[in-house]
Amino acid sequence: MTADDRTTMVAEPPLVAGDEAQRADARQTSDIPPQAQTGGPTGAGTAPPAQPGGSGPGGGSPSGPASPWWRAERLMPRALRGVAFLPLVALVLILAALVWKAMPAIRYNGFGFFTRSVWNLGGSYSPIVTTNGIRHPQGATYGALPLIVGTLQSSVIALVLAVPIGIGTALIVVEKLPARLSSGVGFFLEVLAGIPSVVYGLWGALTLGPFLAHDIAQPIANVMPNVPVLNFFRGEGPNNSAGNGNGLLVSGVVLAIMILPIIAATTRDLLRQVPRPTVEGAVALGMTDAEAVRAVTLPWVRAGVIGASVLGLGRALGETIALAMVSGGSPGHIATSLYGAMTTIAATIVTQLDSAFNDVSGLAVSVMAELGLVLLVITVLANAGARWLVRRVSTTALPVGRGV
Amino acid sequence: MVADIGSPEAHDGSGTFGSVMAHDTAGAVARPAAATTSSSVALLDHPVLVARDVSVGFGAKTVLAGVDLEFTPGTITALIGPTGCGKSTFLRSLNRMNDKVRGYWRTGAIEFDGEEISSHQMDPLVLRRRVGMVFQRPNPFPMSIGDNVVAGVKAHRLSPRRELPAVAERFLREVGLWSAVSDRLSDSPFRLSGGQQQLLCLARALAVEPDVLLLDEPTSSLDPVTTDMVEDLLRQLAPGLTMVIVTHNLAQAKRLAGTTAFLYNGRLVETGETERMFEAPNEPETVSYVSGRIG
Repeated sequence: MTADDRTTMVAEPPLVAGDEAQRADARQTSDIPPQAQTGGPTGAGTAPPAQPGGSGPGGGSPSGPASPWWRAERLMPRALRGVAFLPLVALVLILAALVWKAMPAIRYNGFGFFTRSVWNLGGSYSPIVTTNGIRHPQGATYGALPLIVGTLQSSVIALVLAVPIGIGTALIVVEKLPARLSSGVGFFLEVLAGIPSVVYGLWGALTLGPFLAHDIAQPIANVMPNVPVLNFFRGEGPNNSAGNGNGLLVSGVVLAIMILPIIAATTRDLLRQVPRPTVEGAVALGMTDAEAVRAVTLPWVRAGVIGASVLGLGRALGETIALAMVSGGSPGHIATSLYGAMTTIAATIVTQLDSAFNDVSGLAVSVMAELGLVLLVITVLANAGARWLVRRVSTTALPVGRGV
Repeated sequence: MVADIGSPEAHDGSGTFGSVMAHDTAGAVARPAAATTSSSVALLDHPVLVARDVSVGFGAKTVLAGVDLEFTPGTITALIGPTGCGKSTFLRSLNRMNDKVRGYWRTGAIEFDGEEISSHQMDPLVLRRRVGMVFQRPNPFPMSIGDNVVAGVKAHRLSPRRELPAVAERFLREVGLWSAVSDRLSDSPFRLSGGQQQLLCLARALAVEPDVLLLDEPTSSLDPVTTDMVEDLLRQLAPGLTMVIVTHNLAQAKRLAGTTAFLYNGRLVETGETERMFEAPNEPETVSYVSGRIG
């Protein structure tokens, strides 16, 4: 019996054929268990002897009574199919809830939400008024442009720092270090990945920030000329101030340290998979180690490294608490220099949520939901872009289906 | 496919310089550029590569002891012997590919062009350009087919950038791959068949104009037809190029090599003209091996 069941499950027919078979069953035999008629394609195990072999479901195999629907072999496939859709359901539900909550803010803010640089909850004691049917405290104005720009700026700085360092670390660990040392470095990479972000934030705010501002950034800020592009690296104000240790630079550096382990560890694992003979082929041509790395090793892992970088970018875009601690928390304006105070979408949500609940009109909470929605869209776009990039890179030269 | 091998060179050879080249070896006509870089090697009949009392091993283990071999310009030498007898280790010692293998050591002298290969005067990068290598399995680089061919040329700056496409075409023609890939030079090499990939690797090795080519069982992963093609190609290259081929295939050694060396149990048992090695070997081990009783 189990053997029969296995046969019919493997030879599960398409839905239409199954239905036909069931109709044929109903015509020709009367002692079919009721489950077989209602059970969909999996219930088509009772192929009638009259069916010509091969064309029907389970053709050729002797028919037996189908097991009851509650048996594991019937239940599991359906249960697993259901489980497989859970992530999709969760995403749809989250999205629906966000849109539902954000609706008043979307209608109140309009498209100006993406172009304004202002963050004004309205006075706590000012009267609640109604505009376009939305209740809000008088004077409330929201613009997320600085948050979006800040999120992108800090993430880009983090990538610019972490990708080369991560690849370099991985190369040295795999190619240069002796085995014992390399496993030690690998251990510390994993420890680095496991440090809670609040600890990074605290360290950034207490130690790294002041150090960067006073000892590294200030000398640079002093000498940078006031010309386009370079003036971004110039200090602010008459004293060329490089800030007090909270701001864009510190945020980017802290993010870089946080995503470095992801990129380095993934790249290291990818490098270990580069086939030895291919690298030897480069060496045998008389290439130096550096040339072999450039010609063979790095192209081989390119698609995977892009994927790892996007994992890091995803974490950088969504990183919350560390940035809330080191960004300087300035939701109203865009940083005009590398050292200026800024904030990100995620950091704003976490720092503003408490006061948002005090807005009796409910608009401020709705704005938080809209911010969440914007962050979600940015992250999804970044992932989609990365997928496109990975596919483009891996179809040009990489071995198809390998190396990634 | 093999028909277009060497045709551009043959055309060059019949030109103005034909009479000058007549003094040179036939190989110099077939591969004029290679001959200019190593004219001293090609003109004199000195062995281009000499191994004297060479022992190699890893750590405490001796893989091969006391090997004396000479490789004459323009000849094909086959290294035969059962698995694990040290053929590949010896071959890889000739272009210092083992240098980075953990625990590798070598004693005795290996001289290329009269110079000890591990001396300070010998740049290992130059050595590996002049003593090329083709591996057991095709190992194309993750770059386009055209870039694969000129990868070494670029690394050694042998040709200006604008001439690279011409170089790629020349060596793809030389290995008989041009007609198959001329319209997809920018494609991935990993979509080529295994045999085509191996020919591509051969073109890549030839493109840096080596004096010696080391072949480590180059056809063991290929089908018989492609194997035939590769063998034809190697025979045509022979006058201008010294080749050392490691092979498990005794028939291949017979077909290709002028000289055969038999390695067994960590030593060089016997070496000599291929015909004599197979017809009238001196040593009992050789007799057993070539008749299929051992190995």
